[in-house]
Amino acid sequence: MITVTPTGSTATRDLSALTDAETALEIKNLDLYYGNKQALYDVSMKIPKNQVTAFIGPSGCGKSTLLRCINRMNDLVDICRIEGEILLHGQNIYDRKVDVAALRRGVGMVFQRPNPFPKSIYENVVYGLRLQGIKDRRVLDEAVERSLRGAALWDEVKDRLNDNAFGLSGGQQQRLVIARAIAIEPEVLLLDEPTSALDPISTLTIEELINDLKKQFTVVIVTHNMQQAARVSDQTAFMYMGEMVEYSDTNTLFTTPAKKKTEDYITGRYG
Amino acid sequence: MKTWFKSGSPWVWMTAGTVSISLVAVLGLLLLIAWRGLIYFWPAAIYQFEVRDQLGNVTTVVGEIHDREQVTVLQLRESGREIDGAPTDLVTRYLVKTGNREFVDLDFRWILETDIISRSQPTNMARVERTKNGNFYGQIEAVLEQGKPVAGDVAEVLEQRIARVAELTDGMADIQHSDIGGINYKLEKIRLRERGDELRDRLTQDRIDDYNAQREALRTEYLGYEKELFALREETERDSVVIKDMRGESVSISMKYVLDVIYPNDMSVLAKAGHWFIEVGKFISSEPREANTEGGVFPAIFGTVFMVMLMAVVVTPFGVVAAIYLHEYAGKNALTKIIRTAVINLAGVPSIVYGVFGLGFFVYVMGGSIDQLFYPEALPSPTFGTPGMMWSALTLAILTLPVVIVSTEEGLSRIPSTVRQGSLALGATKAETLWRIILPMASPAIMTGLILAVARAAGEVAPLMLVGVVKMAPTLPVDGNFPFIHLDRKFMHLGFHIYDVGFQSPNVEAARPLVYATSFLLVTVIVGLNITAIGIRNHLREKYRSLEH
Repeated sequence: MITVTPTGSTATRDLSALTDAETALEIKNLDLYYGNKQALYDVSMKIPKNQVTAFIGPSGCGKSTLLRCINRMNDLVDICRIEGEILLHGQNIYDRKVDVAALRRGVGMVFQRPNPFPKSIYENVVYGLRLQGIKDRRVLDEAVERSLRGAALWDEVKDRLNDNAFGLSGGQQQRLVIARAIAIEPEVLLLDEPTSALDPISTLTIEELINDLKKQFTVVIVTHNMQQAARVSDQTAFMYMGEMVEYSDTNTLFTTPAKKKTEDYITGRYG
Repeated sequence: MKTWFKSGSPWVWMTAGTVSISLVAVLGLLLLIAWRGLIYFWPAAIYQFEVRDQLGNVTTVVGEIHDREQVTVLQLRESGREIDGAPTDLVTRYLVKTGNREFVDLDFRWILETDIISRSQPTNMARVERTKNGNFYGQIEAVLEQGKPVAGDVAEVLEQRIARVAELTDGMADIQHSDIGGINYKLEKIRLRERGDELRDRLTQDRIDDYNAQREALRTEYLGYEKELFALREETERDSVVIKDMRGESVSISMKYVLDVIYPNDMSVLAKAGHWFIEVGKFISSEPREANTEGGVFPAIFGTVFMVMLMAVVVTPFGVVAAIYLHEYAGKNALTKIIRTAVINLAGVPSIVYGVFGLGFFVYVMGGSIDQLFYPEALPSPTFGTPGMMWSALTLAILTLPVVIVSTEEGLSRIPSTVRQGSLALGATKAETLWRIILPMASPAIMTGLILAVARAAGEVAPLMLVGVVKMAPTLPVDGNFPFIHLDRKFMHLGFHIYDVGFQSPNVEAARPLVYATSFLLVTVIVGLNITAIGIRNHLREKYRSLEH
């Protein structure tokens, strides 16, 4: 049995009262529609800098959709329409003037299933840097070592950087993808159920990694595993049917939830 | 029985049976054309028959047995032949290739088994391969040098003299093709430049003088080569060989016609095998002679391969780009669906229709316009406004375009969306994702499309007959004259060659083995092209094997 030990601060904070300096991202009155169907209802929240924020909730509650709004991955869905704002440095990322590619360089993302490119480990890590036109071999080499160390993968692959990335195990691939994401040094790192396709040991490695990552990045993680949310996050948002039901310190949310729905969910009455 | 049906074994037997039949059909086809095609190059024994004809006269027939068949007595009687036996009795008859075309009426004749008094394989019987009038069969009696017999072993002397003539002929061909051909090419260029100046009203007296001077220089050069050529030709006429033919008469043949002499009846199996390889090599590497019924098929191989490669170079980028638009950028609506269906259906249009389109649009409209714009000085004789290599490649490119588009699109849709998203999430634009991730991953599918396109294009003949293929092309589309690649030229093609040799030839009997040999060669060329492409594809697949899981 894994014990639930929240890593966040024990004192309850008012997350809506965060100052701009403490805030990495602010979501304001966000509504999202797929065609005629509304998937997110008036979501507002502030995500603090250099902390881990978790989105939890039953399947189909909109937590992944919300996450994908933050780096505009929903743009790929033709019928998707968004109202409201997401502010990064006070700038609405849905503003017409925003360069989506530049936004995504600042807000990296790791997906549910490991998705390395059919290239060598080295080329996978430097992909984002090459896109930015960096060709200097020394810069790239440094970035590879730094990122792979950051993703706790360096020791396992340092002797075979030129091997195809598909030779790695699932857990290694997922860490490689994380390394690839942090190689371009984003401010925010979005993790979309990063361990759902992995075995328990790989999951543990990644969870430890998330703890290290928050020193450098703001991490937002979507998980369907409540224990994982409790283990890795500083604050947790519970979503249900496209609405943000409750958002508070992880400790508070899991021990003294303010809403009945949250309590029902974390005690396993539905989900 | 019922349980046997229920068990499913009849189903297994039926499916397996279909596979077996297909396999047998394919192998049978390949074996037949391979056997009949390749046996042609094996030196056949030369027989000497004593034959009694209907009037009771005994004649000698010398030749190779070309074919044999069983006919009924009734059939023979109906064709006016008196013969004993019941109407249904079978009689064997042989088709004998007697050669010596200029001395006998027919170089092939049927001999009935019952007419044959004796049959032998005399030693010293020679098969003389000639550049004119086909083979000659007989016994070599002497080699003459300027009409006087040469002393020494006849076979040995003959071999030396054949080598000598071969060398002289090579020299002549060199002069004719490179040197004199080059001069003709330059003369034509000068004529066109002069005509161009005239059309643009720039033809001053200075220029006329200049052109005339150039022409004069070339003419002098030409006379030099001509002299050289005539000297060589005279040299080849020095020797001749005296052969006793089947009528018992001694015939003198000038050495300049003699290509090769072999004595099949005296050859060991090993020697025959050696000769077989030489003959196959000659077939692949030399040019056709005598209305394509003799000699090799090199220009046809070259034309086929060159045209297919040119087509591949055109169709691949075009098809891939079209597929990218259809799959990546076009809106997913009814119009796109209609366009996609139309493209797929385009693959079902009969190829001759493409030929008609190629002739009407490419040759007449595009070619005609190009001529008016860029080659007005050559008019009224067309440059690009006539069937040629370029239009053939373009016509086949259109013909195979649907195949490439469909397989590329299939490849694009097989790429997992997570990989695309992974690239986009790293700040790549859609175009960057396409170039760096999607296209490399789709390359095996693109190669599959190319393989199918090449397989279809290499075997296509009908449209080519309208847009560029000819029975006999005097020059290859690639040669030593600037700009080295001449896409306006007509070319030869293996597929058309088969049709021409088999059905348009003046000597169908002689040409039939060539039809098999050429067919086998065509299959080999296509298989060769395909294996190359499949090799590349497998290499790419290995590289991007992520798609397999």
